[in-house]
Amino acid sequence: MDFDFSSDQQALGEAIQRIVADHRALPRTGNIVEPRTFHPATGLEAALADGGFFDIAREPGFGAVEAAILVYEAGLSPLVLETGASALIAPLLTGEALPRPVAVARLADLTRGVRFLAEARTLLVDLGDDVAVVDMAATAVAPLDGPYAYPLGKFAAVPDLAAARRLGSARVGELRRLWRLALALDIAAAMQAATDFTTDYVKQRQVFGRPVGSFQAVQHRLAADAEKCRGTYWLAMKAAWSGSALDAVLAALHAQRAIAQVNYDVHQFNGALGMTLEHALHLWTFRLRWLVGEMGGYRAQAADVAALAWPDAPRKAG
Amino acid sequence: MEFAWNESEEAYRAELHEVLSTLPADWWESYAPHGPSSPRLMEHARRFNARLAERDLIVRHWPREYGGCDASAWQQIIISEEMWSIGEPRSSLYLGTNWAGPAIMKFGTEAQKRRYLRAIAAGELLWCQGFSEPEAGTDLGNMKTRAEPDDDGYVVNGSKIWTSYAARADVMFLLARVGGKGKGGVSCFIVPMDTPGLEVRPIPGVHSRHDFHEIFFSDARLPADALLGEEGNGWQIVQAIIHYERIGAGRYEKAARALAHVVDVLKARGEFDDPVVRADCAAALAAVEAARLQTYLVIDGRAKDKAPGAETYLARWAMIQADHAVANLSSTYLPDLLVDGADGHLRAQFNSAITAGIAAGAAEVQLNMISGRHLGLPRGA
Repeated sequence: MDFDFSSDQQALGEAIQRIVADHRALPRTGNIVEPRTFHPATGLEAALADGGFFDIAREPGFGAVEAAILVYEAGLSPLVLETGASALIAPLLTGEALPRPVAVARLADLTRGVRFLAEARTLLVDLGDDVAVVDMAATAVAPLDGPYAYPLGKFAAVPDLAAARRLGSARVGELRRLWRLALALDIAAAMQAATDFTTDYVKQRQVFGRPVGSFQAVQHRLAADAEKCRGTYWLAMKAAWSGSALDAVLAALHAQRAIAQVNYDVHQFNGALGMTLEHALHLWTFRLRWLVGEMGGYRAQAADVAALAWPDAPRKAG
Repeated sequence: MEFAWNESEEAYRAELHEVLSTLPADWWESYAPHGPSSPRLMEHARRFNARLAERDLIVRHWPREYGGCDASAWQQIIISEEMWSIGEPRSSLYLGTNWAGPAIMKFGTEAQKRRYLRAIAAGELLWCQGFSEPEAGTDLGNMKTRAEPDDDGYVVNGSKIWTSYAARADVMFLLARVGGKGKGGVSCFIVPMDTPGLEVRPIPGVHSRHDFHEIFFSDARLPADALLGEEGNGWQIVQAIIHYERIGAGRYEKAARALAHVVDVLKARGEFDDPVVRADCAAALAAVEAARLQTYLVIDGRAKDKAPGAETYLARWAMIQADHAVANLSSTYLPDLLVDGADGHLRAQFNSAITAGIAAGAAEVQLNMISGRHLGLPRGA
């Protein structure tokens, strides 16, 4: 066992952290943050692309753990950037550098709403018995507005995927494993960032003559949330390391189940300020609102955990 | 980054399995459900621990000079997992291997090391922990038991309460006040349980008549060399060992094995096809694995000689959640198996889960520590 990153992984993480820090400023008009539900990470995307970070999983000697580092670190930014599908799912699923951004969806999601679909250049579709790789150049997608901090889009009707490239039924399980891993990393990062942001806030904000964060009722809930963040993170990193389908779905399940409490707590502790667009909290919590239901939500992950952990043959007791 | 066991760790686990295979056939029926402090299990532990010692299995992670094999800290968590998950057949030997021994290594005199460390490695000492008092449970700094210096040692008066293992333990790790009020007045002593003036009375527990004891000290005389470390540095010793104590028991592994058993029973009853049941079991498994990884993170730091940090408290909190998640499954879906004599495996985990948030520091203390040391939140008024 060794929970430390290798020296290369450590250097990679630090390099990404520097780039994310250099490009985390929210767009402002004068001194006021522009009031948006989300802010695209245009500068961050360009800097990471220039550095070749989106191809990290295909570099010799690198793979899912290195891609996971990118997805997690970028996910901490208040600016929203698609990394999970581009840097982790697509390259490890296809071995190729597919045109970015990449959206990923189940067939039924296409007419309901998909993260990054409106701007995607490639779409990966879980057809149930196959995986379709769709070139989005000639498709029309309607953007969706809502209480979510992602650019969302949907098709008006189920698109004709007859011409789309197929990866074969054997890749369906791999798509789901990688998607769950990316989902768990996105959730771990957004929960961590929202918790960190809130922790800083309650240290400063005074109520009844004391910092909000000095009240035990606040401390205990934030402490429990902190554990959910770390537990999710380590489940995800182990899943990245192991390549196990069970590890990935366990991470996604744990992550999605944690969201409701974390989101509730951080909004409670930010009070009315957290209800405003000039305060950054929603930039993570409104991501979590979407992620909690992705891939069918925790019940779907739980069903697959049960199927993988406890297949039909009875286990030997004891 | 590496999340797999190496060959030597796997071999160690296999050796432990060989010794565990010698447990009585009625282990789950007659021993484990009554807990590691039950008289029958404690008496059996003396024979069982001797079998472990014959193969040098007890403290592989200790230095050779103290009876260990210079193995990594990972071997300590392996034996903790294997023993705790089956009901801790070592009984309270584990207090010695997990933290009393390390405390003696760090703070003890050469004579104390010679006297106690080899005996722990040989599986000869069952310990109890004299910390809590009637007015000082979680608030240890409020303890009142006093050890007054006299010419050739100390005279102890006071009482301890809710002490496991005391009726059959050989030795106690005692906290007593030598100096004034507060944490600075606390000192540590190692006290043989046959010390005159020390009386043990059982307190019937909710799960066993043998779980708890009250201990009375009436002019109990201790020699000067019973003191561990220096007078007044007891709190420092406690702080040093607390990281060992809080994650010393492999509760997540016990929960994991109980969960597997729950699923087997539910399948056999045809009740595992219910999607709600499956989802609850899956969520419990995720909680167990999150606790496991956070515990391993602490062990990883220990193996690398890193100073312990807030990870210990995060791991303990995770462990408490996992233990309760599985116990709640048992009581929700298999309540009939928790009655006396029905299923010792589930009963053992169910009984011990209730202690998870109390033993080794209340759950709320873990949250306090996470708040202060991990989040850096300001102290309350």
